Amino acid sequence: MASENIIERERCVTGIDGLDNILNGGIPRGNTILFTGSCGTGKTTLSLEFLVHGALADENSLFVSVTESSEKLTTNVIPYDFFEESLIKTGKLAFVDMPVIYERLGLTNVEFSLEDVDTLVRALGNLVDELSVKRLVIDSITSVCYRLKTEEKIREFILKIGKALSTRGCTSLLISEISPSADRYSLYGVEEAIADGIVLMGNYERRGDLLRTLQVVKMRGTVHSRAKYVLDLTPAGVLLVPLLKGGGGL
Amino acid sequence: MIKSPGDLADELHELPPSSAINLKIVSDSYFDAIRGIVDIFANKKNLNVIYITVAIPSHSIIDVLKILEIDLTNIYFVDCVSHIMVGGAKKYKNVLYVESPTMLENIMLKVEYLIRKSDGKNNVIVLDAINALGIHNNMKILSEFLHIFINNLRAKDAYSMVFTMEEFSTEEISNMMKLVCDTTITIGGE
Repeated sequence: MASENIIERERCVTGIDGLDNILNGGIPRGNTILFTGSCGTGKTTLSLEFLVHGALADENSLFVSVTESSEKLTTNVIPYDFFEESLIKTGKLAFVDMPVIYERLGLTNVEFSLEDVDTLVRALGNLVDELSVKRLVIDSITSVCYRLKTEEKIREFILKIGKALSTRGCTSLLISEISPSADRYSLYGVEEAIADGIVLMGNYERRGDLLRTLQVVKMRGTVHSRAKYVLDLTPAGVLLVPLLKGGGGL
Repeated sequence: MIKSPGDLADELHELPPSSAINLKIVSDSYFDAIRGIVDIFANKKNLNVIYITVAIPSHSIIDVLKILEIDLTNIYFVDCVSHIMVGGAKKYKNVLYVESPTMLENIMLKVEYLIRKSDGKNNVIVLDAINALGIHNNMKILSEFLHIFINNLRAKDAYSMVFTMEEFSTEEISNMMKLVCDTTITIGGE
């Protein structure tokens, strides 16, 4: 059989059971994934859970926050039943504010140059090396892209950051913000083409009910479901069930 | 035909975990069915009870259980009606609320959450009642829901008890229940 010849890639088990099932065991290790969706769809919560499970599995995990302060974010992690304060104290789970990185690198211009892009990618790579990071989240990549402006620089940044993280065996989630009515998976349309995977999170309205949904649109290195799932954010973590179709017409 | 809560519990006791039972309830036997399952059967088998209320709000069931002097410690509720009631209802800590009985996926998610919280203890899931869910959902989506829901529960070795109020049942509901449940037990009536 052809499938016997396929070499299974090592997986980064997300720890979110429903998502691991969809991905046939987890994210192929080293992949750079675009987690995209409009506000309130659970992108940050899900990515935090990914990091907490990583830290619990003894994989150093880093959250790079671009828009919110780390302090505010940690208060959002604590309601998890499985969260342990010691993960932060021991450095297994770390938070870094991107504006602090900008400041240290002297990246003060509103618009970054191609040299600035290189500097930023190098700094993030060094950070991953220093902290031996195996799981990384950048929330959000859209906010970084605001300062890159052109398609060329965005492409350069995503390609280089993806390569820098992948060669270090670091599995990364890049959070992308789109409007609810967007007809593509990223604000600039560049990010989606370069990422190894796209996970689309949305709000689905059915007869006046608003359901949070998740759909894996693309994932290199694994077979996966492309169906839409409904999710719930609970103290036991993100739970997923298939979206009911009700005989079609949805 | 079963007449008493004790007889119902005895009959259920013979069934293996992961069984799906359609419990047809005739007229005045509603409270006998509740006592038979959530008190006698659950205690005998040392099960947590996850009680999905669609017909009446959870606080009404809780009041009944208190009157019947049934211990509420291991009983959790997924309440699908209180949110849609004008003025809302009293909130209890062992109750999870679903905004509307049309949010069938959210019913599955709340049950999944409660199962995860049960620390390895086995569960009996009571759906009260399929007729009430049928008021809010069309038969296609309801069949799809039951099929996925019950198979998920089977995979978790949970008992599924789906109430049908005999007087309000239709042929469509009966056929659907035959398809998804292993056994039908009737309680009450002549």
